[in-house]
Amino acid sequence: MSEKTVQSAGAQKSPALWLFIALVIIGAAAFGYGLTSQHPERAWQSYLINFLLWSAIAQGAVLFSAVMHMTKARWSGPLSGLSESFAAFFPLSFVLFLVLFIGKSHIFPWLHEDLHGKEVWLNIPFLFWRDFLGLLILYVLGFGYLYNALQLKFDPSQPGKGIRKYILSGWKQNSHNLARLKRRMTMWGGFYIFAFTLVLSLIGFDLIMSMDPHWISTLFGAYNFVKAFYVGLGALIILACILYLRHGEDSGITPSHLHDIGKLFFAFCLLWADFFYVQLMVIYYGNIPEETYYIIARTMLAPWNGLAWTIFIACFVGPFVILLNKKIKTKPVFMVILCSVVIIGIWLEHLLLLGPALNHGAQSIPLSISDGLISLGFLGLMAIAIRYFLSTFPELVQIKKVKESG
Amino acid sequence: MGPERYLMGLFKDEDKVVAAVNELKASSYTFQRVNSPFPSHKIMDALNLKKSLVGWFTLVGGIIGLVGGFSLAIFTSVQWNLIVSGKPIVAIVPFVIVGFEATILCAVFGNILGLLTQMRLPSNKLMKYYDPRCSGEYFGVLASCEPSQEDGLNDFFRNQGAEVRVFE
Repeated sequence: MSEKTVQSAGAQKSPALWLFIALVIIGAAAFGYGLTSQHPERAWQSYLINFLLWSAIAQGAVLFSAVMHMTKARWSGPLSGLSESFAAFFPLSFVLFLVLFIGKSHIFPWLHEDLHGKEVWLNIPFLFWRDFLGLLILYVLGFGYLYNALQLKFDPSQPGKGIRKYILSGWKQNSHNLARLKRRMTMWGGFYIFAFTLVLSLIGFDLIMSMDPHWISTLFGAYNFVKAFYVGLGALIILACILYLRHGEDSGITPSHLHDIGKLFFAFCLLWADFFYVQLMVIYYGNIPEETYYIIARTMLAPWNGLAWTIFIACFVGPFVILLNKKIKTKPVFMVILCSVVIIGIWLEHLLLLGPALNHGAQSIPLSISDGLISLGFLGLMAIAIRYFLSTFPELVQIKKVKESG
Repeated sequence: MGPERYLMGLFKDEDKVVAAVNELKASSYTFQRVNSPFPSHKIMDALNLKKSLVGWFTLVGGIIGLVGGFSLAIFTSVQWNLIVSGKPIVAIVPFVIVGFEATILCAVFGNILGLLTQMRLPSNKLMKYYDPRCSGEYFGVLASCEPSQEDGLNDFFRNQGAEVRVFE
């Protein structure tokens, strides 16, 4: 006789948690050390890049679940629930944004420049207030979506406290009316998707493009949110592959799921490159010095040109050629490596966009070991957040264990 | 030895189809094909079909298109060396569009060519040995055998839990 028991993916106590905590401590220490060193602006630059990247990963991954619901897609299976776990990073991302305020004098090179009329938009109070409100709205909508999405999957037989209790009370009201629950998910999810595009555009304009205050590209905001979905999918694939490697098909994830999400990742690899290209194309044809200097400094002049090609190969050429193959998309170890390369590539891409403006006349690429350590700290934060979420809501990933008994 | 006999086992259950296909392949009867009212992963796995070559046609078409598109743009530019707003004669950035569009066009042509050569249509076997119930609620497993084995195949299908249709 066989008996099925359902066990949560994140519930087992393991040394992994301590590892993640250690990573956070290392990251915080590296950041603190950087602040007290002679170049605190370098530490803040690293902090900004990581804030942008990891927030984008969380926002993009949650977008996946919302998009799957809005399009009534069934192929994603357990991946949809898995992507919701990234929402646990939202509060952290919000706090990290607030911390950014402390470093404002190191982050914004335009603070003491003559902006020729742009100061109406580019001033610290307005910038922080609008980004603060934007992120607040985005995260509230995300949690609103999640509140309903979690009720749909909720398993009331499992004990709970804190957030679980809160979801349980909602579940008691709504569980008899699933159609209403789905309607609410559609509403919150739709608004989340809409806010995602607007808020990530705003963040792209304010925290990335504004570093070169005299340069504009209208499509930069769209480029930023496409990129966010791209890395969000990458991180989701990594998480799914790790679960698949640990539990096999008991995790509910099958190679065909990995194949399908691999295809979506491939599509967004193309879309990311496309949004890069359409900006480049317009600037190339227009040939206006105010616009071209930004591209020339980053893609044609040392030290940045090498970095630009590295990013182009790591985030587009490499994944494009490799992901043409069907089998590779279903190989979890390989996909973890590929997606990690892409995410590191996008990290470097942020450095490429921000770096030249923050390091005028740099002779070499400003990259040091402390950047890596700070990034590891953020990785630890993300991992702890996801772990917490998956152990609070084990319904999201149900590990089936078939036990032989008697 | 007369002409081969064609029999179709009509199943209502997907898993029984999988079992029947596996046993047919191991038996002395010739397995022909499965007609399914909807796409089924389980049956696809059991059939263990050879990978289609259509993808290769598409890939080759795409590569030809990429090379062809860039060549077209570069060739036509160097035929008439007209410098426009300081851009080089061979301006790679805008040529990407020509290359990209030609890639897609030729990949589609390659794909269609692949389909036409690989799909084995028209086929007179397809409709001759077909039961309209396979567009309804039944899966049809088609197999053929020597006339002397006909009863054996008939029993085989019945044992698997199928209704049998014998094609004359």
